[in-house]
Amino acid sequence: MFYIKLILAFFKTSTQSELAYRSNFFIRLLNSFLNLLTGVLSLVVIFNQVETLQGWDMPSALALLGIYLLLGALRELFIGPSLESVTGMDGEIWTGTFDFTLLRPVDKQFLLSFRHWRIFALFDLLLALVVLGAAMGLLGSDLSFGAVLSFILMLLAGLVLLYAALLAFSALVFWNSGFLFTWIINDLFQLARYPVSLYPNWLRLILTWIIPVGLMTTIPAQALIGTLSPWMTALTLLFSLSSLFAASILLQHGLRKYTSASS
Amino acid sequence: MTSPMISVQNLTKVYRVPERQPGLGASIQSLFKPRYRDVEAVSTINFEIEAGEMVGLIGPNGAGKTTTLKILSGLLYPTYGKATVAGFRPWERSPEYLRRISMVMGNRSALNWDIPPMDSFHVLSKIYKVPTSHYQRNLEALIELLDLHPLLKKPVRNLSLGERMKCELVAGLLYQPDILFLDEPTLGLDVAMQRRLRQFLQIYNREHHVTVILTTHYMADVTALCPRVMLIHHGHLIYDGALQTLAKKLAPFKLVKLQFSTTSTDFKGFITQFANTERLTSENGHHTLRVPRDNVAQLTAKLLETLPIADLSIEDPPIEAVIDQIYEEGRV
Repeated sequence: MFYIKLILAFFKTSTQSELAYRSNFFIRLLNSFLNLLTGVLSLVVIFNQVETLQGWDMPSALALLGIYLLLGALRELFIGPSLESVTGMDGEIWTGTFDFTLLRPVDKQFLLSFRHWRIFALFDLLLALVVLGAAMGLLGSDLSFGAVLSFILMLLAGLVLLYAALLAFSALVFWNSGFLFTWIINDLFQLARYPVSLYPNWLRLILTWIIPVGLMTTIPAQALIGTLSPWMTALTLLFSLSSLFAASILLQHGLRKYTSASS
Repeated sequence: MTSPMISVQNLTKVYRVPERQPGLGASIQSLFKPRYRDVEAVSTINFEIEAGEMVGLIGPNGAGKTTTLKILSGLLYPTYGKATVAGFRPWERSPEYLRRISMVMGNRSALNWDIPPMDSFHVLSKIYKVPTSHYQRNLEALIELLDLHPLLKKPVRNLSLGERMKCELVAGLLYQPDILFLDEPTLGLDVAMQRRLRQFLQIYNREHHVTVILTTHYMADVTALCPRVMLIHHGHLIYDGALQTLAKKLAPFKLVKLQFSTTSTDFKGFITQFANTERLTSENGHHTLRVPRDNVAQLTAKLLETLPIADLSIEDPPIEAVIDQIYEEGRV
């Protein structure tokens, strides 16, 4: 309850600071639409030429796009802004105000992950849900209750994986304040727009098990269309939870290492 | 017997700092083979502070003041030694401990710059689990004491430095911590604002019995607020005691300022009658003499008796001069 109250308070103040810069609003809106448009257009172009691509037809590729947009929106909504406010350029580590964050009597990982919200990302979230809804509509009678349940579970696993990856890369900043590596995840995440099976074998392996952006979107989409094997479901769950655990450990080590910029 | 609020034994902090020669070649070399040097920022420091005490921690830049504060607040691990604050080991940063302390820094802001301070206060009250009724009461008292009313609706970035500092103090005190670490709170403020903040701290300390460690470069802060000072130099604690004692110990002189009623009075011969007495300045008929404390009474009596004095005053040397002398010499 304490943490929910805090999230509400953070959301409120973040919204206030966002609204202080009004012109951002329209730029963000345009950005969201362009993002959606390029995603859908490229699918339309591809599936006008071919019926299926490596086993993926239009509705399932659209579902994957919806998942990609959804995870991207959640990243934009709080994970990204919260982590960047600490580890990014001009972040708290650089300015030294991280001292205050460390002195708050609240779990530091929670504070690092939920403190800043970008209210405009709610619009991205809405668009993503619309795309996902359209895809589910197109899939229609193929959807089973079990598939939807497994989809939700895998979607959560994908979100946890994305969060763990961003957290781990952010934590590296404690070893060297020049490590601003979250952009690697952000760039690689673009590849998650398409099913991993489209990529050559070596890249697919990297995107599945090393920097698991493939797992984040392809697996939930497979769960939705019912082509995900039970052992892969279990493996993904296990992998996402252990990634979260490892990222937390890394952060704890980083915090211990932190010696604030001398005044 | 109650144990002291803050107790520090053999506290030492060694930093490992990268070392680099100037020039591009050296920069590239350090990329692959960085070199480090150990720097002892704080060296085997010992002290105790009782609850409710207000202690000034002074010393030149880089002396180890901020490092000491950071260890006590829990931001840094010491390399050796022990420190106990309110019964806690600070660097474990337990939530119970963090709720009892507060750190206010003159050169860093704990507030969100895009929103009015009132909203930041609200979030902090949630973080520190301050019950709503207490929060309202504390806030009103602080607002009253600091005369904050007109500031609370402006975003922090539009506040002046002095106004912002008042808000930083509210942010640091609204959960009523028992221990307050103040790191150069009057940095860059104008004289009037410095005085206001000092008055506030004095009243707050008296009313709430809060234990305060204050670092500052302004001796006026220390003379107004801190009956006890600790002087750090190159990481060593070289003095711990009353400020006045320090001044007496270091400056066994008084300044005698005088003005003659006739412009061309020559008193060179007069001064030579007294040992260790010298003329520091002479301007437009105003003279300043440095006189050993023990000789002051005798000298002034004789002055008044033999020379045409229009005005005379006896003063302690300014504390800045005393401190400057220690910083130069590195010992008390």
